[in-house]
Amino acid sequence: MKRILALSLILLVISFAASAAGKIFPYAYNQEDLPNGLRLVTIPTDYPNIVAVFIVVATGSRNEVEPGKSGFAHLFEHLMFRGTPEFSPERYQVELRNAGAYSNAFTTDDFTAYHTTFSKEDLARVLTMEADRFQHLAYEKPAFRTEALAVLGEYNKNSANPGSRLSETLRATAFGEHTYKHTTMGFIADIQAMPEQFDYSRQFFDRYYRPEYTTIIVAGDIDAKKVSALVSEGWGNWKRGSYQAQIPAEPAQNGARAAHVEWPTPTLPWVVAAWRGPAYTDDALDSVALDAVARLGFSESSPLFQKLVISEQKADAIFGGQPASVDPQLFSVRARVKKEGDLATIEQQIVAEAQSFATRMVDPKQLEILKQRMRYEFALRLDSSESIAQTVARYVALRRTPETINRYFDLFDKLTPADIQKVAAKYLTEKNRTVVTLTSAGSAK
Amino acid sequence: MKQLAVFVLAAGALLAQPRMVELRGTSPLVTIRLVFTTGAASDPAGKPGLAHLTSQVLGNGGTKDLAYKQILDALYPMAASVEVYSDKEMTTFVGETHVDNLQKFYALMRDMVLHPGWRAEDLTRVKDASINSLRVGLRGNNDEELGKEILYTAIYPGHPYGHENMGTASAIADMTKADLEGFYQQNYTQANLIIGLAGGYPVDFAARIKKDFSALPAGKPGRIKLPAPARIEGNEVTLVEKDTRSVAWSFGFPLEVKRGDPDFPALLVMQSWFGQHRSNNHLYDRMREIRGLNYGDYAYIEYFPRGMFLTEPEANLARQQQIFQIWIRPVEPDTATYSLRLAMFELDKLVKNGMTKEDFERTRTYLSKYVNVLTRTKSAELGYAIDSLWYGIPNYNEYLKTGLAKLTLLDVNKAIRKHLRADRLQIAGIAKDVARLRTELISDAPTPMHYNSAKPQEIMDEDKIVEKLPLRIRAESIKVVPVAGVFEK
Repeated sequence: MKRILALSLILLVISFAASAAGKIFPYAYNQEDLPNGLRLVTIPTDYPNIVAVFIVVATGSRNEVEPGKSGFAHLFEHLMFRGTPEFSPERYQVELRNAGAYSNAFTTDDFTAYHTTFSKEDLARVLTMEADRFQHLAYEKPAFRTEALAVLGEYNKNSANPGSRLSETLRATAFGEHTYKHTTMGFIADIQAMPEQFDYSRQFFDRYYRPEYTTIIVAGDIDAKKVSALVSEGWGNWKRGSYQAQIPAEPAQNGARAAHVEWPTPTLPWVVAAWRGPAYTDDALDSVALDAVARLGFSESSPLFQKLVISEQKADAIFGGQPASVDPQLFSVRARVKKEGDLATIEQQIVAEAQSFATRMVDPKQLEILKQRMRYEFALRLDSSESIAQTVARYVALRRTPETINRYFDLFDKLTPADIQKVAAKYLTEKNRTVVTLTSAGSAK
Repeated sequence: MKQLAVFVLAAGALLAQPRMVELRGTSPLVTIRLVFTTGAASDPAGKPGLAHLTSQVLGNGGTKDLAYKQILDALYPMAASVEVYSDKEMTTFVGETHVDNLQKFYALMRDMVLHPGWRAEDLTRVKDASINSLRVGLRGNNDEELGKEILYTAIYPGHPYGHENMGTASAIADMTKADLEGFYQQNYTQANLIIGLAGGYPVDFAARIKKDFSALPAGKPGRIKLPAPARIEGNEVTLVEKDTRSVAWSFGFPLEVKRGDPDFPALLVMQSWFGQHRSNNHLYDRMREIRGLNYGDYAYIEYFPRGMFLTEPEANLARQQQIFQIWIRPVEPDTATYSLRLAMFELDKLVKNGMTKEDFERTRTYLSKYVNVLTRTKSAELGYAIDSLWYGIPNYNEYLKTGLAKLTLLDVNKAIRKHLRADRLQIAGIAKDVARLRTELISDAPTPMHYNSAKPQEIMDEDKIVEKLPLRIRAESIKVVPVAGVFEK
């Protein structure tokens, strides 16, 4: 502990400018670590006037290990707008308005991101305010209890959509131990009990809102050196924490699972077939191979999509994939079916198609086309400083550096049909599978 | 007089060819926006949804030479896409591609719009998708959007804006290939077309695209003539009965101001302060931040569809007539009437008191900077530029900055008093227990609010007024409709 403190007194800044030549991520960026563990990534872009700041905290619903506390990372995202001694919520909003800023936040399984987009002349103001709320958040109990109701309101807003319920049921069926068993919104009972959890909320802040969990990304019309100086000044005294969540590991699945949801009002039937997949990796082929399966098997140009959606017109949507995640997540394929009578056969076809990758070689020509698409898809995503920062934020949440983007795409470029088969055989098996269906209550089976 | 007529004719003849908006730059991403100034307001009698279905078949169907499957296969390696959406007076095709693939991509997009295949299987598939969008996407899954769309249909009875853009399920089911081709022939004309280009495209590309699209019929310049919306006599309510957890409200009235009108910048300042999403607006502050009633509360002076998924309205939804609307995200059923009262109370205060000097100054500063954020992607900048051409105003950023600079607090508060009101409202609600809600609304009995935490005295005092705010809703002014019948016939 003493040694850490001693080290932090030396203003040691590790910094390097990555060259962008020949890499998929086309921007030269700068990455540096403050002694307290905070990381800063600056990305000057050629989009004029605008700056986007994304602050990524490596805590999400994955960190909700205690029973009854699901949805807490997301509640916390809301609480971060509830003020500090220096900037009351009203003053914070006034300052943002003076900056003409667009500001929001979102929570995922693995991370929480706070983002602001604004005109470049307001950079210092925005970074100062952000430094203040990350270090000095101070809300009172009444504000906490009121904010918990806004989260219930968010649940209510989404609750008419059967897709939310399908996801809840899939996670609860496929996971028993790991916190991926609940959605980021959390269980409704936990959301309704949130107003009583004031003390726990302070503990949550104390544990996770720490420099070693946090990465700041600043992209746009910027001078990287000035940003670096502002961040050192405003965030350098932030104290490192020590908490590490013990996330329970999910034991191996040993047999196919299934569940069904009856939806109370008229809707179209859904099926989701899922397999226990890997955690995100940029040094093995698991992630790239399964991402290839998702696209070759279930994108708009895949044979199954074209059969079921375009030719036979039995489904009106099919899509699949696995989110890049810190711990092993699900590779899943969803379809919305037009007639309930077709649900079983479509489920069979999806399962058969996914599992067929374990036993067959994909067409090398199709794989080359996919590699080309992946590069263009990525390039098209970078259409503003905000989307550049947002794209980087998602990767930074996994490996804390934009360099993982280059590593991922380099691996994708090297992928062979044999690699895909090998990885598919590892994950897309019957014993790893969970299927959930959803139909309207009372409709003819 | 004669001279004037000749001039108009000449201008007309000149306009009977596609108009161009160009934002040429160095970005490797190229955006093509093809905006046809036609939409649901031009649907023929008895065929609500024809404009929408026609555009969807173009954007999601084959061409003369290629089946839809082949188009998807051709687009796939480029990761390029053609997105289509349509409103009352605009139908928009947005193409995005990397400049490496521009020629190949453009040829596909051009043929989708210029040489549609009109295959029976495409029509069947796209009809199913439209009907499912209405029944499941809107009616089933999205109560707040349903409330907003119900509000629009209630405000415009017997008016070209009076039906949902997608139409009705039965009208869609009956539409034929001949209906679509007829609509296409009449409305997809040079006079109706605005071509927008942004990004690092070659210098001769604009001329080429303009030449290609001169193959469309010339058409006649001009806009559909719209009647004035019907006068709302008192507070009128449509309650949609649906098995759902919470209650979603929308209410409003026709607005005489649109973009380009003298009072527009003043009302935009009002909107931004009172109700704009993500600007921590006043309504949101009073309803969500202080009272925790729901996830958000907003007010807008222009059409803002897909608000469930977006925090800013898209471009190319220009209209000759707009409404003022308040959009209350789903609230717990016990607080439904109170929430409606509170929003009405805030609107009344806004009309009576206007904005303060401080709020006005702040909001003006905010908007003049925020406009850069609003147009932060080339695609958005292009969309706004096309809208500016349609509304006859300069570049949107300039228009707003100039308009805001001239504005005084007096102008804003005068515009608020002139154009807004807290009575004669159309109100739409989506709820499960509509019988109880109906009784509560008619009885006008107090609806006291109970909180889970202590509130400042100011709020408790205000609630004493809000809980008894006269709703002025008569029994005969409430229409109850079961959700299963909404947008069916």
